Amino acid sequence: GAMRSRAEVDATLQTAKLNPEELLPAVHCLSFGPQAGAGDCCLLQLEPGLCAELEAGRSLVIRGEKDEQAVLCSKDKTYDMKIADTSNMLLFIPGCKTPEELNADQASCDIIHSQIAGFSNHYWELRRCRPKLKKLRKLLMEDPYEGPDSQKDQTLTFSKYTTEDLLSLIQASEEEILHQLQVIDACKIEGYWRILEFDYEMKLLNHVTQLIDSESWSLSKVPLRTCLEELGSLEPREMIEHILLSYGRKYIDDAGEVYFEMHEDKICRAIAQMLLQNAVKFNLSEFREVWQQSVPDGMTTRLDQLKGLALVDKTSRPETICLLKVEDLPEDNQERFNSLFRIREKWTEVDITPYIQDLCAEKQTVGTLLTKYARSSMQNGVKVYNSRRPIS
Amino acid sequence: EAAFLSRSEGAGGLARWVLVELQGEVEPRQSGGLAGSLLGDLHYTREGVPVLIVGHHILYGKVVQLEKPFAVLVKRRAGESGPAGPQTHYTVTALIKTKLLFKTRPKPIITNVPKKV
Repeated sequence: GAMRSRAEVDATLQTAKLNPEELLPAVHCLSFGPQAGAGDCCLLQLEPGLCAELEAGRSLVIRGEKDEQAVLCSKDKTYDMKIADTSNMLLFIPGCKTPEELNADQASCDIIHSQIAGFSNHYWELRRCRPKLKKLRKLLMEDPYEGPDSQKDQTLTFSKYTTEDLLSLIQASEEEILHQLQVIDACKIEGYWRILEFDYEMKLLNHVTQLIDSESWSLSKVPLRTCLEELGSLEPREMIEHILLSYGRKYIDDAGEVYFEMHEDKICRAIAQMLLQNAVKFNLSEFREVWQQSVPDGMTTRLDQLKGLALVDKTSRPETICLLKVEDLPEDNQERFNSLFRIREKWTEVDITPYIQDLCAEKQTVGTLLTKYARSSMQNGVKVYNSRRPIS
Repeated sequence: EAAFLSRSEGAGGLARWVLVELQGEVEPRQSGGLAGSLLGDLHYTREGVPVLIVGHHILYGKVVQLEKPFAVLVKRRAGESGPAGPQTHYTVTALIKTKLLFKTRPKPIITNVPKKV
């Protein structure tokens, strides 16, 4: 349609009985742009920090397969996306000035013809969430690395993932994914991220602990150079270094030599896993004896090293212990609690904490989770938690 | 499946748009759709109060600085497939930090009825 003229605008003002003296001289004549009804535009409400990221030129990514709820990822954070409906109509208008902008610009145009780019009665809302990282381990476990002698790696398999692959499949930000790869001791082999098959990992660890023993090295000063020299004929050098990095802290001494301070707790824990995975349940005191005998000289086993790995039953006679890995449990809060209550009807806070700690969102505590998902009662003078509803 | 939100190319940073929030629904007055049709005239009083004249109604509103700004996303056609399937690309075309909120009931414009002579 034809653009409105000053005369038409003034006539409308007169009909409306508005006094032009009380108005700023500039007027916006709003009309609908050619694509306004097409629905290609939508609104995304920004959490603090995201606006600054966009203004700094960084991109955001929406990730999610058809069966997943979409999340939005910045470089280092993940957000749930939800549609919020408004009862009002939201029109988005480019080039529309505020009173401040009009007052600041004395030469502003008398009539500003503004085209409405689009309109909507809903927008995307964001809420910071835990990155959905369980899938990462699941993908890498499709084809764990069994060592160079394994026949498996000779065949072409599509169960291998590069960083790019993981970025497009995992609902988490890049930094969160890279951090998690470190946490689970993944390593890059020929450009693909791999997790070591547990038996192979134990084989590598055993080479190292036996060498430490035969060389009588201090556990806090294991030399990389000698490990590579002595073990290089048995295993690839990258794997020797990888196992040292996984189970030790790397440092360089004043002479520039690389050493590792071995993580006693992590080594004891791995050996416990190796023992526990061979049976459903163990007599606790028998297990503790075998476990202590199995770890390298100089290391001391403690039950608290097994948090989130094993569950002790103090109510059975004799007391027992069994393998229960937190990473095998569901990622969703309600499903996690259901699964824990299926395993055991009543939990003390001390026992359940290692199995729900990872569910805590940014400012949440284990206490708030328990209040939300469990019911408490007293049993023999001890506070215990059970399910809020019957578990099938 | 992944969808990318990237800055639209353009010198001088992201465009700044304004949101106008109205009660009710937008419907074309004439058949033939919305494109090109007029909504109304937007004035501001000298005190900075937005006044919108839409058809036979006057709406008084207020300028609100948004606590949480909006990004305007424009969907582009799906690009080449990535490892997880076809990828959609959204371009962040503008940021909205201000809205004009018209919540008051519209005042109808009553045209003068000439006196009978």
